[in-house]
Amino acid sequence: MDRSAPLLSLRSLSKHFGGVRALVDVDLDVHRGEVVALVGDNAAGKSTVARIVAGVYAPDAGTLHLNGECLALTSPAAAFPHGIATVFQEFALAENLDVVDNIFLGRELRTRGLLDRPRMEELARSYLRQLNARIPDLGVPLHQLSAGQRQCVAIARTLVRQPQLVVLDEPTASLSVSQTAEVLSYIEGLRDLGLGVILISHNLNDVRAVADRIAVLRHGRNNGTFDTATASYEDILSAVTGATRHEKHD
Amino acid sequence: MFVGAVAPGSQGSLREANSARIVEAVKAYGRITQVELSSVTGLSAATVSNIVKQLLDQGVVQTRATTRSGRRAQEVSLAASSSLGVGVHIASRSLSVVLADSSMALSGAQRLPLPVEHRSDTTLDRTALLIAELADQVGASMDDIAGVGLAIPTALGAGVRPGLGALTGWIDVDIDQLLAARLQRQVLVVREAEAGAVGETRFGALRGVGVGLFVHVADTVDACLMVGGVPFRGAGSAGALGHVRVEPGGAICRCGGRGCLNTVASAEALAEPLRVSHGPMSLRAIVRAAADGDPGCRQVVADAAAAVGGAVADAATLLAPQRVVIGGDLAATGEVFLAPIREALRSRPVLPRDDGLVVPTEDPQMVARGALALIHDAIGPAAGASSEG
Repeated sequence: MDRSAPLLSLRSLSKHFGGVRALVDVDLDVHRGEVVALVGDNAAGKSTVARIVAGVYAPDAGTLHLNGECLALTSPAAAFPHGIATVFQEFALAENLDVVDNIFLGRELRTRGLLDRPRMEELARSYLRQLNARIPDLGVPLHQLSAGQRQCVAIARTLVRQPQLVVLDEPTASLSVSQTAEVLSYIEGLRDLGLGVILISHNLNDVRAVADRIAVLRHGRNNGTFDTATASYEDILSAVTGATRHEKHD
Repeated sequence: MFVGAVAPGSQGSLREANSARIVEAVKAYGRITQVELSSVTGLSAATVSNIVKQLLDQGVVQTRATTRSGRRAQEVSLAASSSLGVGVHIASRSLSVVLADSSMALSGAQRLPLPVEHRSDTTLDRTALLIAELADQVGASMDDIAGVGLAIPTALGAGVRPGLGALTGWIDVDIDQLLAARLQRQVLVVREAEAGAVGETRFGALRGVGVGLFVHVADTVDACLMVGGVPFRGAGSAGALGHVRVEPGGAICRCGGRGCLNTVASAEALAEPLRVSHGPMSLRAIVRAAADGDPGCRQVVADAAAAVGGAVADAATLLAPQRVVIGGDLAATGEVFLAPIREALRSRPVLPRDDGLVVPTEDPQMVARGALALIHDAIGPAAGASSEG
């Protein structure tokens, strides 16, 4: 599977915000059926990469190839048709709307101009079933759900467009262990569906549990890529903090 | 559980089917209001209300007044009958927790993927948290939990110490005491293969089988022989199939022996020949790629299966089990793994030529369920008296 051409390929990506260099010459590859974790300290540039892939920011320099095709994403709306779906840290859910409305927000199904509510409910249930989510009543407003359930709704939302690549920004932050278990199992599910996944997280435990490869960012630069099967906590931590033997080889 | 002498198609049978649907939904969601029940099952609110009332009288469920969206609602949960037991399976890459009362009908289950070489302190902390959260989800509290059965892989059958190699860094950890200290509950640590064998005997393919062999093939190979519904331990280490010598001139095993099955059919042994062509791969990745038809991965899985098959055929020749159940991660590759094992058994003229002799496990959580059955046996002699075997 590693031999095939990557689904997503970022090359020499750079982004400045005023005097701040958020990203400098960042490379990243994601294959189909692969979970690539992006780890790093605060302000290492993880979320900036996610936003560039999602089309929120345009990079100052560098290229983004999807399926070998060079894309210039100018807005999140431009990223959707290419099959890129993103769940951000502060996910854009409407607290006062119910689960079905949120999942189909802006992409409502219509039959002859009218909303096809039964069909949407049926699909919403099937997405949530794939998630193994325990949300009994899809008619409740979102503010009544737990943090884990809201995360599930946010991830279920990405499935509506049948994506090729899903970007998850800190999906397990502030979740309990059982909710984390659900989200991690779901990430494995996305991989088994053959999608590429970019998982951004602080939690090395979660990352090492589900990722196939771990890419470390440090001060906006690549600081090593690790195969989860062989890399130890110490290897990855030292690359994150920059305190180490990996620094010597630079 | 509501199988009665009711004619199919009658109103009575419809009612039973509906009530079974409601019980299933309550099990799946833990705590759920009647309004939500009607939305999940598609039954009318009046039907749900009637059936819940009936289930309440039968002592199957319990209800509690609560509020949803500012309205009064009836929250339904399974009746906390007697005490709850917990079955835990800690493997090298995942943690499974199941929860059930003495009826053994699972009321909660959760699986958490674990990192490579996960640390004992973190994993035991997460296990304890997961148990507490799972109990809360099914409407119980920690007070309702009577004990925990914990299944872990061991490379050596004797004693129940974390095995050499299977859980790296766990060798000198007193798991039962550490987990008991976190939960303040009795903790029973059992061998993974033994828990799986008990699970198959109570709930799976070894039900009613006099002499059955359960073979667990994950990171390492282990087995357990069930005789009359009871695990056969011999002098202590019976079932250590992973340490049967398959290559007299082979590599040295972690146990110190030469040419053990584990040197040929372990996660490491499978990953090694793929390193040049595929890069480093986890067992899960190999299993998935083999199931997807990757030729290289199919080859290493088939080679491992041939080695396991040879050892199983030897064991079967000696012990003549009526059925062999194959569990563990590699069983998930299906025929890629099972066919060479069947072939190895078929090549022995002494053994019956019956395809039903070797079957895969039906439930990936069977090891955890076996641990659950064992803790119920341990906490109450009257509890799990279903080992008619």
